[in-house]
Amino acid sequence: MADTLTPDRLTARHVGAVYRRALLAQIRAITEYPGDFWVMASAGVMWNVLQFAFLTVLFAAVPEVAGWRYHEMLMLSGLLTVAAGSTAILCDGIWSTGQMVLKGEIDYRMTRPAPVVVQVATTHIGMQGFGEVGFGLVMVAYGWIGAGLGPASLPLVLLGIVCAVVIECALITLFCAVNFWIKGPMSNFAFVMLDLQHHAMTMPLGLFPIGVKVVTMFVVPVAFVNFVPVAALSGHLAPWWVIGMPVAAAASVLAALGVYRLGLRSYDSSGH
Amino acid sequence: MASVDVALATISFKRKIAYKTTWLFSILFGGWSLLAGLAVWSHLIGDGELGGYDWPAMKAYLIIGFLTSTLAWAGADWEMANRILDGLIAVDLTKPIDFQRARAAEYIGGMTASVPAAILGTVAAVLIFQPAAPASPLAAALTVLSLLFIFPLAFGVNYLATMACFVTQRYLGIQWARDCFLAFFSGMMVPLALMPGWLQGIAWGLPFVHFTTTPASIYLGRVDALGALGLIAAEAAWALGLWFGTRLVWNRLVKKVTVHGG
Repeated sequence: MADTLTPDRLTARHVGAVYRRALLAQIRAITEYPGDFWVMASAGVMWNVLQFAFLTVLFAAVPEVAGWRYHEMLMLSGLLTVAAGSTAILCDGIWSTGQMVLKGEIDYRMTRPAPVVVQVATTHIGMQGFGEVGFGLVMVAYGWIGAGLGPASLPLVLLGIVCAVVIECALITLFCAVNFWIKGPMSNFAFVMLDLQHHAMTMPLGLFPIGVKVVTMFVVPVAFVNFVPVAALSGHLAPWWVIGMPVAAAASVLAALGVYRLGLRSYDSSGH
Repeated sequence: MASVDVALATISFKRKIAYKTTWLFSILFGGWSLLAGLAVWSHLIGDGELGGYDWPAMKAYLIIGFLTSTLAWAGADWEMANRILDGLIAVDLTKPIDFQRARAAEYIGGMTASVPAAILGTVAAVLIFQPAAPASPLAAALTVLSLLFIFPLAFGVNYLATMACFVTQRYLGIQWARDCFLAFFSGMMVPLALMPGWLQGIAWGLPFVHFTTTPASIYLGRVDALGALGLIAAEAAWALGLWFGTRLVWNRLVKKVTVHGG
């Protein structure tokens, strides 16, 4: 159904323009509610502060975790926070997919000349993302300096951040699209993925069984969001692993768009 | 009036289990966080101990954390938040029903839907991982009593969090912040025993500590019977404090309600 109403001839330029305009409209809306912005941004910062506190408390009790030291772990947490916070800024509306499917609100978006996924993704901006990204970058920078990594690694850090953001946005989109088949108001699969990332991916992968490593690297490539770039930077993994970052990003985007498209095909509005 | 509470709780219960697959997966996946915690702390503790917890004690601690978090997150906080964000609260304000009491009934109904799965998951975890046994039969009984207070405490904390929706346009970020506060100050992320004294002081001054540290301390015998009763009394005090405190917050924030189109 979506394919007939969303022309395949939409150009990247048009899609980009729609995305940009929709996001700018949201930003204009934010400026109308400055109190809301500061409450939410502070909520985002709070998450980071407590993650910082967690690592500080932990490393006061142990010198290292599976060979990883304090500053490396700070980078691990910081990069995940930057990626997760960026999804709140760039595609927070995607979390509404389940609600829209239940209420039949996808119908309206199918009739407009822009990809449905872009329209859904830009229905909100999670303002906590500004706090998360800001403090997450502070954690990455503090960890980077503390770990003694030189300026030569800066391009790799920047590549890692870009790939992390792309992978995270794509995977959140993919898991929110599950609601096309498994109906429910909440995007539980995406929540579970984020929850698992916050529990497991803020720790070195060496702590977990081989199955977890295989899944997080090659099935749901969340390891490429933060673990692989930081491990490659700090010497825990061979440098050639960085090639996997753009590859994982491209694969995640293709998978997300494919799954969302399949979901739209199976979408039958509400009440049927 | 009680029949209204039961009706609202039943509706919330049925709503939770209406989306069976979503409900089932959310419970099943909750277990992954437990497994991640077990992997991390197994490595950190090894054959020794950390903060007074040896490996069997830490397993019990983590399983209690799994049980309490499964229960605490299963309520209807999104439904509460959406009523404020969508403006449905305007309809609620016209009803001859106390808003807070109605939401409490719905929240407890939602939590109750997760009880069978939470118990099943906990029993499975106990059988598989063989955690430390309770310090005594009395400690076990007092642990169960302390766990019952999770219901009013979870409602109080979540209701307070949803009040933020009067001044924000979105609940997701508030939810993440609340989750993080609870995970850290309850001791789920890292036991309070590992925190510096001043941070332990802050944690013990907040209600979150009763979600994990209190039941785990009672279960493992880290406090004696009198201490356990004191902690349970603190839980009761927090449940009451949150109930009446959120009423005051409500009275102020409801004046800010913005209903679209009105």
